[in-house]
Amino acid sequence: MSIDSTTPAPVVSARGLVGHFPVRSRGLTRRVTGVVHAVCGVSFDLYPGQTLALVGESGCGKSTTARLLLNLIRPTAGSVRYGDRELTALSQRQWRPLRRELQLVFQDPYASLDPRMTVEAIIGEPLRLHGRYEPARVRELLDLVGLNPEHANRFPHEFSGGQRQRIGIARALAVDPRVLVLDEPVSALDVSIRAGVLNLLADLQTTLGLSYLFVSHDLSVVRHLADQVAVMYAGQIVDAGRADDLFASPAHPYTAALLSAVPVPDPRRERARSRIVLDGDLPNPVSPPDGCRFRARCPVYAGRLAEAERVACRDFAPTLRAGPGAAQVACHYPQTAPTTV
Amino acid sequence: MNSPVLAVRDLTVALPTEDGQVQAVRGLSYEVAAGEVLGIVGESGSGKSVSSLAVLGLLPRDARVGGSVKLRGQELLGLPDRELSRVRGRRVAMIFQDPMTALNPVYPVGAQIVEAIEAHQRPGRGVAERRAVELLDLVGIADPRRRSSSYPHELSGGMRQRVVIAIAMANDPDVIIADEPTTALDVTVQAQVLEALRTARQATGAALVLITHDLGVIAGHADRVCVMYAGAPVETGTADDVFYQPRMPYTLGLLGSLPRIDNRGGRLTPIVGGPPSLLAPPPGCAFAPRCPMTVDRCREQAPLLTAVGGGHRAACHFHERLVGVSPQEVFGP
Repeated sequence: MSIDSTTPAPVVSARGLVGHFPVRSRGLTRRVTGVVHAVCGVSFDLYPGQTLALVGESGCGKSTTARLLLNLIRPTAGSVRYGDRELTALSQRQWRPLRRELQLVFQDPYASLDPRMTVEAIIGEPLRLHGRYEPARVRELLDLVGLNPEHANRFPHEFSGGQRQRIGIARALAVDPRVLVLDEPVSALDVSIRAGVLNLLADLQTTLGLSYLFVSHDLSVVRHLADQVAVMYAGQIVDAGRADDLFASPAHPYTAALLSAVPVPDPRRERARSRIVLDGDLPNPVSPPDGCRFRARCPVYAGRLAEAERVACRDFAPTLRAGPGAAQVACHYPQTAPTTV
Repeated sequence: MNSPVLAVRDLTVALPTEDGQVQAVRGLSYEVAAGEVLGIVGESGSGKSVSSLAVLGLLPRDARVGGSVKLRGQELLGLPDRELSRVRGRRVAMIFQDPMTALNPVYPVGAQIVEAIEAHQRPGRGVAERRAVELLDLVGIADPRRRSSSYPHELSGGMRQRVVIAIAMANDPDVIIADEPTTALDVTVQAQVLEALRTARQATGAALVLITHDLGVIAGHADRVCVMYAGAPVETGTADDVFYQPRMPYTLGLLGSLPRIDNRGGRLTPIVGGPPSLLAPPPGCAFAPRCPMTVDRCREQAPLLTAVGGGHRAACHFHERLVGVSPQEVFGP
């Protein structure tokens, strides 16, 4: 991502993050028969007080990337720096004090809250673990996320989906983190409820100076709140840059197709739009193709490139580098014409 | 509008639960004409799915269904199961959200299309098999001959849903009801499936009832829109009416809650609170507890769906106050 002179140092930097998982045979031997290439060399910087969105479709590796970052899954290779510390080399014990500073909010507020614990116990738990429990702090946190502090003794089932996600956010905020990793935090919520949680996240970022790594498949939500965007496809970042640049003129053909597929709640605009409908599906992560992984579905490769030009796409995997616009792009033939969303 | 193919009048559905009767649908009326797309939009629990199950008589036996559902003039409610099964799949086809549960995992998809054809017609096996391949081709499945012998688990989610669409088209139905057909799918796959659905509609000339929570999908595909809240329709009209001149605060609030990809926009204006329990729906307007415009009258007297201009109708006592008003003005701080 481009860095101008006024940009402060990143809070978190990932370089060449790799997450590969063995596929084992059934039966006693459990031989390794293949490798799932879930995340293949992902690099990004998260700046203080900003939101970096990792976007992509199911199976692109965005959630795995978030888990690699937090060492919930040990990276196969690569580096994660937090301030001046290298995180990938740390043991679980060395990680523990850092967990306070890097917190995770899960997608499903129905599954991530223990139904047998009161809200007071759920939010108090991280405080107790880090030895800073005070009843007043729990009430303060409930108030901070827009819930009634008097409801602290209720159980999760007594709250609606939106309220439960607020409880999940309050729990993450309990230990004063600097970075929140939000994994599809609003995907399970209805439209009218989702807006309230998105506003809350924006407010918390402003008041607490938090940095967000926001993992999402919903490009409309990402457009609304991200400062920086990294688009993932088949385990790699294919397009990265400031949200305004990326949405205005997507340089990677996949980004262009993705943006064109998102419906807009505006009938006249919808009728006037032309869609780039992609054929086919994601490549098999056990045997990702050589060269460009998007090649088999790429409308530019199929429709606009001469045979001589296609050789590059087949033989050389494009790396993320400066594109025609302000964003970085992993494509041998990036798009220059702005698309109209 | 030409004469309706499907006419639903005052549909009510009550479902028994341990805590009492849930009034899941409370007076839904709509009509769809051949070739027309009616979008029914609403959030979880608004009754949009239950109402479509009621239309096809697919609710459990203890569900209490009232009102009238007419298919080309023929009343469907109360029809014995044997007669209803001649309608289902033949004249009214249904597409559900999850194609994995709609398809049988142990038969190839081609055989399942053939089965759908042979359930209602006797074209002969060879003809039915050729028709199955044709249908797979029509919904955009590459190499349809080979794919027709694939099992559902060998196909991606988007391909499975396109197989379900092919089955829905198999008997040239009058009406296709699609209940959240793209909800579980990624956007690029959603685009493929919606394209297949458009093809299905054009090839069969069927009326389409498209049920979804996604206002973007509705904007791009529906001719007319019905917004549901707490089991009842609260606003109906052409897509342009409902999106550009909403006259019911709930519709306005929904539009103000949406982040959009076409502009970053300012702050969203959420609707506070949640929908009421349908075990005991409030006596007045169901949206009153969440509506910033609420006065005593709203809590006492339920507003009826009334004409607000042309075919545009809204259920709000104060719909005329919403002319030219933005979501921020009503729901803003």
